[in-house]
Amino acid sequence: MTRYDALSDTRGQAFWQGLDQLLEQPDFRDKVDRHFPVFAGFDLARRDILKCLGATLALAGLDGCERQADETAMPFVRNPAGGPGAERHYASAVELDGVGQPIIGICRDGRPVKLEGNPAHPASGGATDAFTQAALLGLYDPARSQAPRREGAPATWSEAEAMLSELAARLDQGRGMGFHLLTGPLGSPSLLRQIGELRSRWPAMRWHVHAPLAGTVPEAVLPLEKVQALVALDADPLGPGPFQTIHARGWSTRRRAYQAGDGDALLFVAEPAPTLTGVASSERLIVRPRRIEALLAALSAALNGRAAAAGLTGKEQAWVGRAAQELLRHRGAAAVVLGAHHAAALHATVEAINAGLDAPQASHAPANPQGEDLAALVAAMKAGTAKSVMVLESNPAYSAPPDLAFAGAFQRVPLRIHAGLHPDETAELVHWHLPLAHLLESWSDVTAADGSCVIVQPLVRPFFDVRSRHQVLALFGGAVADGRALVQETWDAHDGVDRWNSWLLSGRVEPAAKRSAAPVVPATAVLPVLSGPGGLDLIIRRDWSAHDGQFAHNPWLQELPRPLTKITWDNAIEVGPALAARLELENEDLAELSVGDAKVLGPVWILPGIAPDTVLVHLGYGRRAGGQVGEGVGFDAYRLRTSGASWHRPGARLRKANGHHPLASTQRHTTMAGHDFVRYVEQAGAALPPAPEKPSMYSPQPKGEGPAWGMAIDLDLCIGCNACVTACVAENNIAMVGREQVQIGREMHWLRVDRYYSGAPEDPEHVFQPVPCMHCEDAPCEMGCPVNATVHSPDGLNLQVYNRCIGTRTCQAYCPYKVRRFNWLDYVREDPPELRAARNPEVTVRDRGVMEKCTYCIQRVERAKIEADADGRPMGEVRTACQQACPTQAIVFGNLADSSSEVSRRKRDQRDFALLEEANTRPRTTYGARIRKGRKS
Amino acid sequence: MTGKSHLASRYHRITDEVVSIPAQFPAPRTWAVLFACSMALFLLLIVSVVVLLIRGPGIWGNNIPVGWGFPIANYIWWLGIGHAGTLISAMLLLLQENWRNSTNRFAEAMTLFAVTCGGLYPVLHLGRPWYFYWMAPYPSTMTVWPQFRSPLTWDFFAVLTYLIVSICFWYIGIVPDLASARDRAKKRRWQLFFGICALGWRGNGRHWLRWRQAYTLTAAIAVPLVVSVHSEISMLFAAGPIPGWNSTVFPPYFVLGAAFSGFAVVTMLAVMVRSLLRLEDLVTERHLDMLGRMTLATGLMTAFGYVAEVFTSLYAGSYEYQTLMDRFTGPYWWSFWGAVVFNFVPLQLLWQRRIRVAPIPAFLIGLSVAIGMWMERYMLLVTSLYRDWLESSVNLFHATFWDWSLYLGFIGFFLSAFLLFIRFLPVISQFEIKEAIDEGAAAVG
Repeated sequence: MTRYDALSDTRGQAFWQGLDQLLEQPDFRDKVDRHFPVFAGFDLARRDILKCLGATLALAGLDGCERQADETAMPFVRNPAGGPGAERHYASAVELDGVGQPIIGICRDGRPVKLEGNPAHPASGGATDAFTQAALLGLYDPARSQAPRREGAPATWSEAEAMLSELAARLDQGRGMGFHLLTGPLGSPSLLRQIGELRSRWPAMRWHVHAPLAGTVPEAVLPLEKVQALVALDADPLGPGPFQTIHARGWSTRRRAYQAGDGDALLFVAEPAPTLTGVASSERLIVRPRRIEALLAALSAALNGRAAAAGLTGKEQAWVGRAAQELLRHRGAAAVVLGAHHAAALHATVEAINAGLDAPQASHAPANPQGEDLAALVAAMKAGTAKSVMVLESNPAYSAPPDLAFAGAFQRVPLRIHAGLHPDETAELVHWHLPLAHLLESWSDVTAADGSCVIVQPLVRPFFDVRSRHQVLALFGGAVADGRALVQETWDAHDGVDRWNSWLLSGRVEPAAKRSAAPVVPATAVLPVLSGPGGLDLIIRRDWSAHDGQFAHNPWLQELPRPLTKITWDNAIEVGPALAARLELENEDLAELSVGDAKVLGPVWILPGIAPDTVLVHLGYGRRAGGQVGEGVGFDAYRLRTSGASWHRPGARLRKANGHHPLASTQRHTTMAGHDFVRYVEQAGAALPPAPEKPSMYSPQPKGEGPAWGMAIDLDLCIGCNACVTACVAENNIAMVGREQVQIGREMHWLRVDRYYSGAPEDPEHVFQPVPCMHCEDAPCEMGCPVNATVHSPDGLNLQVYNRCIGTRTCQAYCPYKVRRFNWLDYVREDPPELRAARNPEVTVRDRGVMEKCTYCIQRVERAKIEADADGRPMGEVRTACQQACPTQAIVFGNLADSSSEVSRRKRDQRDFALLEEANTRPRTTYGARIRKGRKS
Repeated sequence: MTGKSHLASRYHRITDEVVSIPAQFPAPRTWAVLFACSMALFLLLIVSVVVLLIRGPGIWGNNIPVGWGFPIANYIWWLGIGHAGTLISAMLLLLQENWRNSTNRFAEAMTLFAVTCGGLYPVLHLGRPWYFYWMAPYPSTMTVWPQFRSPLTWDFFAVLTYLIVSICFWYIGIVPDLASARDRAKKRRWQLFFGICALGWRGNGRHWLRWRQAYTLTAAIAVPLVVSVHSEISMLFAAGPIPGWNSTVFPPYFVLGAAFSGFAVVTMLAVMVRSLLRLEDLVTERHLDMLGRMTLATGLMTAFGYVAEVFTSLYAGSYEYQTLMDRFTGPYWWSFWGAVVFNFVPLQLLWQRRIRVAPIPAFLIGLSVAIGMWMERYMLLVTSLYRDWLESSVNLFHATFWDWSLYLGFIGFFLSAFLLFIRFLPVISQFEIKEAIDEGAAAVG
């Protein structure tokens, strides 16, 4: 019966004035009150209804406000005056192999949009590596686990909690007998505390650490800023890894001091295949892996004044002689470093040498291993004594050495639990998969490379139904714990305590409660002596981009050209030119690489500077689960490992296979073809020959008052680490286009790092050259554009006006540097909402058919200008994203009109030169020539 | 008197022969087959354009550094072909070379269609083709003007001007013939069609006087346009600081190349029209001979352009030399040597009159030149861009299916339009031929 039924019931002619009249009928009110008791006695006068509506609207509006970070997270020093769209900065950290990377997380509208290094933290100094930059995308990864799964089927956390508390009750009875916890390398004090507590609660439980990238000794953090002569034996301190940022910073501090005439910056490297350290070195010796031991012995002998043992080649002898001489000359500021994967006995020799040299010591010692290794777990699983196994943030089903047969043994365990970010290979084998929160959305703590701790505070509330790793472990205690409280417990702090607040604000626990920087990793078995059957030496390395495989699903890293090969979206079997010629292999030919019983099929890439008869492969590819991005990309080099030989395997065989696998390399020509794109000087203080003034019809810039922006890139400091490229991607919403598009030359990076070789292909000289837009003062692109879509600003920026661009591509054709990028297809429209959320709201997302290029981070320049105008002060310093991320401070941006600025100082340096000076474009970006030697003249 | 009646009957025959073509088409079956093939290609054009507009220019093989690919190469090629039409009719009109009269009408039509193809290419080439009019200096509310230093802006003006002048010239030329067609049409719809198109032409003395003035004036405008338009197009390359482009030899080199390819295509069309419409006594051996001579002359001049370009590159050294060597031996060697061989080797046969007047060899040589000139455009564009300054940016260009489909589609459009023209409009300027005959008779008499 509707309210209108009242009308039909009336007899005769009943006039009614409006439907409202009906509401006044008493029985109707009764009916309403019965149906909606909430509204009983509610006076439905018009004004009240309007009030109600107004309030609803206002509340709905409030609810629609930004998604805030945890209310108790402490914004960093810089917190502009609120309002929608305002930036909030939080000091926090992300983690790589258990080592914290201190960051400032920038949030806008409640979502993190950029990670920057924490300038106040000594392990970062404002710089980051590529992995840290790309961690942001990891947060928004659409392939992340979003809810618990029980045997592959969706489940709820309450079910999981019930399961865990039941397990805990069982374990309480047996004092933890049969329970094994497997973790990755750990550096979180809270996690260590929690594990410690579990172990004291259940003494019979066992804890294992699976660290696929660990060597025989923990990797040491070197105080490179104090080392004037460093000898690196098959070690890559400047290469990718948890200590890259701190090492690169230290090395560049030393190098810049050398440039200024203070001491030396000598780097002797002996290695079988090029590394970033080798490329940066002053003297690089190519040796096969098995020669390292002999070299070390010879070096030790030479330092002790004894004659070197016989058996060294002339080249080796000369290298050892010079290295020893320089080490001795710089006693107290000299050090030797050996790759962490070498036998412990060799490390003892290195320690002795360093002690003899009075080498600068790291401020903290490597940690003692506490957990057992994976082999012990597999043994227990095979023996059937493992009744329940929990895998926390580790993926042994993918990264365990095949001879352990982890998967088979694991499946014999009655209760298997996995907690991780992704539904990865291990998650596929378990009964329970528990999704973990990303570090950027959870409370935690980490130990940074300098040994100090960082409290990890969430930049945003979790997007999915996930828990932090601490919360998951705390579930054994029964109750659902608050993530923040768990961390505070470790630090004996709570909300409101000044100490706690100041740690959150500064991003560093002060006074530095020094812990080991090195993550907890188990000691692996000592390597067998490297003298196997004849054949090739196989070197296995972590990947530049995928690392141990954990970043295989990160498009920013996958599309990042690997520093030396410039390959994207793949790994390759890398061989030297001589070996390739002998086996009749060419780039991209498929080849079968086998060692022992293991074999892989992959494309060949010829890498100059690799030792003879040596093959290099990188881990982290051939992922079988965890996300569409990385699945099926490359081949799985873990299959070539054994538990005894993780990094070097002699006796490998390489055979040409049928077929061809095209690789997406972004730079195929590797030499400068007789030109001088990169210039050299022989030593610090030396000058380049002066460039004659070129005639021009245009008056020189800067023309007016106000700033004149420019950039200087010191090629002597660039180590080619790609941090700048990833930072640029994150800052400028650069689209990732995928393997096929990169293959045909359509990558979108605004900043690329060119790599050139010179000299003999067997032992070439390498050099890196980052190339952003040159912001030419006489820019050919501006002349070519028919619609004024690329124009010059008064402060010297070469602007690209996206909405004016019609896509003639004339600017691109005319650009001598080819730094312009075109949206050939619609690269962004189909991005899932998660990825859209990761974009920087200050930078336009470019449409199909529009040209784009480096803007010198104009959004940062403009913001600085607006803020300065608002405060009525002159403009201060502006830092571009690439400059900010660069761990060696190779990139400097600033005002050329201010003669005291760092960029002006660099441009006055006699090493300064313009790329393609002969094109007479008068670029605003110039380069500092590379210094060949690191020795003071 | 007999002479006069003889002349009159010959006039009649010519008029019949030409004007009756639309109404009683001599080779309907061949025409239908050719037209069906052309329309199939035209359909491919439509598909290619639709796919292009939906997915974007990424369907082509273009990349960084070769941001310009087929569209620009083909644009130049089409416009080059178009130029011969204007040269034949306008320049020879001004020079009072009467042999042009049998060929000028369809050469002009060829110009029109080729310029249409050429003009559409750079629009489709754009990343956002729907904004192509931003290149025009129209009074926009944003008060943004085109960038007048850009060669593209001038290209836009040049092509548009050329298209308009070509249409005017062709249409002015065809008006008297349309009137004869109107007068002889038997069916009502033909009468209406030609009647409207003939703009009320009655053939009185005043009409002829005005017509002559207009025609000559338009011709005088059109001839320098050939030079300016293709010089302007060459600026697209020459203005860029790209080794292999940045050369002052480009404008004349391009104009000559354009005329060369144009004469080659006119020869092909002349042979086609002649055999298809059985007009052997109007398009005679003499015409083929003259076309052959023109092709040979412009070809030799183009060859000189090649030599001059190679010399400048050798002389310049450094990057220019590197590009030259890439052209000789690089990954696109085939385009350089292909251009040389297709353009200049069969061309040498044209030294012999025997070959010039033989329809099939003339056709094949024309085809060879058309292919060779296409290769030249491709070579100039791709070999310069794929490796310009920095070694790090070197990347190869590979054409995709859609590159080819758009090209073939435009050929389909051109052929369809041309076949429609010969089917429905007077292909040969009958009154001018009569005039020529009259003058010839007068000279003899």
